[in-house]
Amino acid sequence: MIHVFSYHDKRYIYDTGSGALHECDDATARYLKGEPVEISDEELKETVEAIEGLRREGLLDAPETQARPIKSPEVKALCLHVSHDCNLRCRYCFADEGAYHSVREVMSFETAKAAIDFLLRESGNRKVLEVDFFGGEPLMNFDVVKRTVYYAKEEAAKLGKRFLFTTTTNGLLLDDETVAFLNEEMENVVLSVDGRKEVHDAVRKTVNGKGSFDAVIGKIKQFVKARGDKHYYVRGTFTAKNLDFSKDVLFLADNGFDSISLEPVVTDIPDLQIREEHLPTIEAEYEKLCDEYIRREAEGRGFLFFHFHVDLEGGPCLAKRVSACGAGNEYFSVVPNGDIYPCHQFAGDAAWRMGNVFEGKLDGRLREKFARSCLFTRKKCGDCFAKFICSGGCSANNYHYSGDIDEPYPMTCVMMKKRIECAMHVLAERKARENS
Amino acid sequence: MIKTIAKPAEKKVTACGECRSTCQSACKTSCTVGNQSCERITREQNIEKK
Repeated sequence: MIHVFSYHDKRYIYDTGSGALHECDDATARYLKGEPVEISDEELKETVEAIEGLRREGLLDAPETQARPIKSPEVKALCLHVSHDCNLRCRYCFADEGAYHSVREVMSFETAKAAIDFLLRESGNRKVLEVDFFGGEPLMNFDVVKRTVYYAKEEAAKLGKRFLFTTTTNGLLLDDETVAFLNEEMENVVLSVDGRKEVHDAVRKTVNGKGSFDAVIGKIKQFVKARGDKHYYVRGTFTAKNLDFSKDVLFLADNGFDSISLEPVVTDIPDLQIREEHLPTIEAEYEKLCDEYIRREAEGRGFLFFHFHVDLEGGPCLAKRVSACGAGNEYFSVVPNGDIYPCHQFAGDAAWRMGNVFEGKLDGRLREKFARSCLFTRKKCGDCFAKFICSGGCSANNYHYSGDIDEPYPMTCVMMKKRIECAMHVLAERKARENS
Repeated sequence: MIKTIAKPAEKKVTACGECRSTCQSACKTSCTVGNQSCERITREQNIEKK
């Protein structure tokens, strides 16, 4: 299958079978879409020959290999909800402002230790394991985070394995001690900031109902400065209140952050919810951001926007691309009492409880459901050009929209496809600069 | 006119499962496999750079 699309005056062809991206002229794009083409016979002949040449090379209309999804029984990652409590009260929080629709509590070290033991035991021959400290606000339970990291490293070393740790934090509790620890031990740190002060403060409130921007921005800047060249993301959320979100991404870049992610809110709060009528504005906003992104990169002051990075050359193999995200099969969330869920987005929903780290076994029926889920069970994705890049989207989003983890959420699809087209244009412009 | 911008590097190994869990990267809501890189290719490139 090919996807022919325009970005301003540029025309591109993305071949889903081979994963190749081509740039072409308007006549070729029109010809491939079956539209009338007003060119000379000689030009038409050249166009057809060029198309046939790519077909022969397997870079156009390439067959889509029915790769087998990777469905190993080895567990590779856990999201540890070390704190079901938070020191902020963000209006849009999917986690019920940290409490996950239950009591506010933190995870004990005994539970965290049992979770690490569970992961080590279930990881089979896998050498590299991942643990993400999540909340609520994980730094509200910093002592357990520290002890868990030291315990996990010690136990992994005995088995010839190693851990990659991530922490997601709102930054409020960053101080000399936490900064030093996170920079030493965390392979990645995700810091929550929504962008401009007025945007951030409208939704990310303290327990006392005040905006939290002034309390966190300085700390997060200091943290990133101290982090050096280690991985981090400043990660924000946009809502219906800031559909001009490109300004927030650029605000973050202007404040010295060079690794940025901004995600559409997932909520049903009426004044914040992204609705279908917002989509044209959101698509235009991604283009606006993309144009400025390319301009800055060309001027040598580029930054990384998570969704504009699509690795067409060194990206994952096809088997990985059809395997979906791995939640519920190779990746699980563990909440403070040790209960296991497919991922953080399902946490607290009794219907999706898969076991407990102290029991040490998983609900076979639910695990089988997730193990079976892959691009090929997501029937609506079959004729979508983005399928080998998004793998059918987020199971939790799909479920919350339709009641079925295999039914894609159409709003997400529209945004995803736009971001992918932007990412491909970014790549083409970068290559053009490199070649000139 | 057609110009190839990018095509996938030939994979020496597929389905090795070394790649990071998709949901462990940045966003926790719409992380996608396409935003990831192959761990093996990245590792080999890093070795070559060194």
